[in-house]
Amino acid sequence: MTGGQLLQAVLTGLSLGAIYGLVAIGFSLVWSLTRVLPFAHGDLVVGGALFAVLAVVGTAPVAISPSVGRSVALVVLTLCFAVVLSVATYAVAVRPFLDRGKHGEDVLGWVAGGVTAGLVIRTALGVALPAAAYAVPDPLHFDAFTSSGSVTLPGGGSVHVRVFPVIAVGLLAAVAVDWFLVRSHLGRAMRSVADDPDAAVLCGVPVERAVVAAFALAGLLAGVAALLVAPAQPIGVDDGVVLGLAGAAAALLGRLGSPHGAVAGGLALGVAQQLVQVAPSLGAAWSELVPLTVLVVVVAARPGGLRAPRQVPAE
Amino acid sequence: MTTFAADLYLLVAAYGLALAVSYAGLPVLGQGAFVAVGAFGTAQLAAHSVPLLIAVAIAVVAAGVAGYLVGFAAARLAGSSLALATWGLAWLVYTALVLFPRLSGGSQGLTRPTPATLTSPSLGVEIVLDPWVHAIVAGVLVVVLALVLIRADAGPWGLDWAALRTGPALADSLGVPVQRRRRAVIAAAAALGALGGAGTAVLQGVVAPTDYSPLLSLQLFVAVLVGGTATWWGPAVGVGLIAALPTTADSIASALDIEPLRARAVLTAVLLVAVLALRAPVSRLLKPYVRLGSYAGPDRAAMEDERTVGDAPLLTLESVVVEYGAVRALDGVDLDLRAGEVHALVGPNGSGKSTALRVAAGVVTPVDGSVRVRGEPVPGTSAAPRVRAGVARTLQHTAMLGRLPVGRQVEVGARVHDRTPFAGLRHLIAAPSATRDHRVRVAATATALEVTGLAGRAAADPDALDTAEQRLLQVARAVATGASAVLVDEPAAGMSARQRDRLGTILRRLADSGRGVLLVEHDMNLVGRVADRVTVLAEGRVLASGTPEAIRADPAVTRAYLGVPPD
Repeated sequence: MTGGQLLQAVLTGLSLGAIYGLVAIGFSLVWSLTRVLPFAHGDLVVGGALFAVLAVVGTAPVAISPSVGRSVALVVLTLCFAVVLSVATYAVAVRPFLDRGKHGEDVLGWVAGGVTAGLVIRTALGVALPAAAYAVPDPLHFDAFTSSGSVTLPGGGSVHVRVFPVIAVGLLAAVAVDWFLVRSHLGRAMRSVADDPDAAVLCGVPVERAVVAAFALAGLLAGVAALLVAPAQPIGVDDGVVLGLAGAAAALLGRLGSPHGAVAGGLALGVAQQLVQVAPSLGAAWSELVPLTVLVVVVAARPGGLRAPRQVPAE
Repeated sequence: MTTFAADLYLLVAAYGLALAVSYAGLPVLGQGAFVAVGAFGTAQLAAHSVPLLIAVAIAVVAAGVAGYLVGFAAARLAGSSLALATWGLAWLVYTALVLFPRLSGGSQGLTRPTPATLTSPSLGVEIVLDPWVHAIVAGVLVVVLALVLIRADAGPWGLDWAALRTGPALADSLGVPVQRRRRAVIAAAAALGALGGAGTAVLQGVVAPTDYSPLLSLQLFVAVLVGGTATWWGPAVGVGLIAALPTTADSIASALDIEPLRARAVLTAVLLVAVLALRAPVSRLLKPYVRLGSYAGPDRAAMEDERTVGDAPLLTLESVVVEYGAVRALDGVDLDLRAGEVHALVGPNGSGKSTALRVAAGVVTPVDGSVRVRGEPVPGTSAAPRVRAGVARTLQHTAMLGRLPVGRQVEVGARVHDRTPFAGLRHLIAAPSATRDHRVRVAATATALEVTGLAGRAAADPDALDTAEQRLLQVARAVATGASAVLVDEPAAGMSARQRDRLGTILRRLADSGRGVLLVEHDMNLVGRVADRVTVLAEGRVLASGTPEAIRADPAVTRAYLGVPPD
């Protein structure tokens, strides 16, 4: 393997990882406020992207550069659909199973609720979009940065030009979330709920509003991820699940609950996946197994991943 | 007949999953992966000229081991991580099957001749496995599984499963080996899933990845949710619904002109939504039919306590130090508990009372100092060994084992009396030793109910208990473990004056019957009435220790509670 190929793999991996990071932040955020694992989270990404495509382009999308009006409509609708789906999932499929008084939460209930919500999203899309995968238009026009659509790297490799804006947008979104959580009133309320919901209630923090905000923000990040990932290659209705599980793996790698950790975990996972792809004896098939394998191994090995710190002294 | 036999094999897999989901309350979302291991494992091994039955056995054992490992990894964590791990596994196995045609035969799948034949030259027997034979084999498996589940649920395993699904933390405090049980349950579920998969593979002669997509996992999951909690008929009804799904879906698909696979997904989604929506009403509807054994009259002959009351204190804490991060919760605490006494532990909030109690119960490990039970050190960081050694506690908050009737909740505490291994298996085959164990459990339960004054409430729904009775139920569960040292954490919280009187009488009765009671309590009137000895903690240290009268007169204690009096 040449240095150029290595650089190419790392850059492609970083752009993939930036997308994983966005999914992972949302996953992590929802978990830290509710201790619920959002099983439909990946489906929000594909749901946002494809529902918007359905609304703007119709059931036979082609990957041609959309007009300015359509681009704006696609961006706005993708984000809106992702947010609405996320909040609706919470309200319909998760909320009813939490907090059942002294009988405790209903884990079977919200797990089933989450996977059902995901299946409903996939099924609704699948009825309208029956093919295995669709090439969809890119409302952000990342391909237009160079005429060929790719960039030659020193050392001989070449990467798609969209790799660079994807990394930039992914990292900027992560910084924005960080700023929101630290600076804004609502963000601080969300962090207080994540730290200790009981104490937050006593301090007058509107816990329910903070939780809904967390799901909405997670949906928004899923929408941004959708804008970045969908046009990169043909996207299928079922692709969301694996994307969501990759996000979960990234969030776990970065110690669940930490936005920085989620981004770092996502980048590491993306690069690892691309390195496996270019590794001589492995290749594309093995690379597709990387996120799922990492997920299963990380849950198993538990690097403090799923432990709720506040459970230590309390019981 | 082929379809029917295949549905019966699916039911075998569903019974396996039901064990994990509806009996033990574990959210396993990857049963399809284990079914796939059974199907592809059998097909691959048989293709490499392994005899058919041995191939099936290897595949089933492999899935069981895989399930055990999954359980091993996820059992220490909250239930939700098990859901994530198994959902990830379902997609991992499916993705691997799709991506590696050498493993799965690609989109065409692996094929083998049907009907398969079993030949034994030495016996001169040849059995042709036509669909009828399969239906009989699978039918017998299903009936046996259903019977085993019904019987096991009424015995010691049923108690353990109820404890697993309704209150793992509480179960742990009562000495149920929660993690070991979880691993065993997941391994059994996986093995049965693989058995169902292997059967289908041999029956149909073709194994293709699309039949083992995560949708199968979801379908099996919804199938076992149908009947609600711990019902033997639930999986059968669920699989019936799932089995009716393809034909229904195909007719809908042709009517609406959509892809059949999509139509199946639509129906699965509709089914999942319906089952989720109907879960609460169904469980309410089924509630009146919960069976309950009788706990009439403590059988004192069966309750013989082999422990002798020696001179050594029941429990000794020596210079115990506990730190939570930078906070030193206990700073060199000495404490002991003797048989026949109520020893009260009092002190201002945050003085370390509950921490001391948790150290005694074995759930908090001190960084320094020693804990001994009857003069001997007790190992382990979980509560179970401590409970077996005779130390049991109540949790500070009121915890319930779901809506299990009061008597059964107490019997979970008595589960620890089954000292010989494989209690569940021995019960399953109705071994005489199991009957003896059962008598001991019932006797321990009856004793605990009687001593706490709950004997008349054994059949009650825990929701029907008042606050005081709920507190007493906590005590009863701890007493049912047969513990000689009973640790009670703020039992009087939320009780009225009359209820406190009753509680005091019960605690006194426990001590007078030879047990030691370590009582953490704020109510000094109650403490003054029942305690033989009082130890006052302040900021993690022992401030004073002595009779209630002496403690009341101690100026240091007054200072700790009320501040320094002005001169």
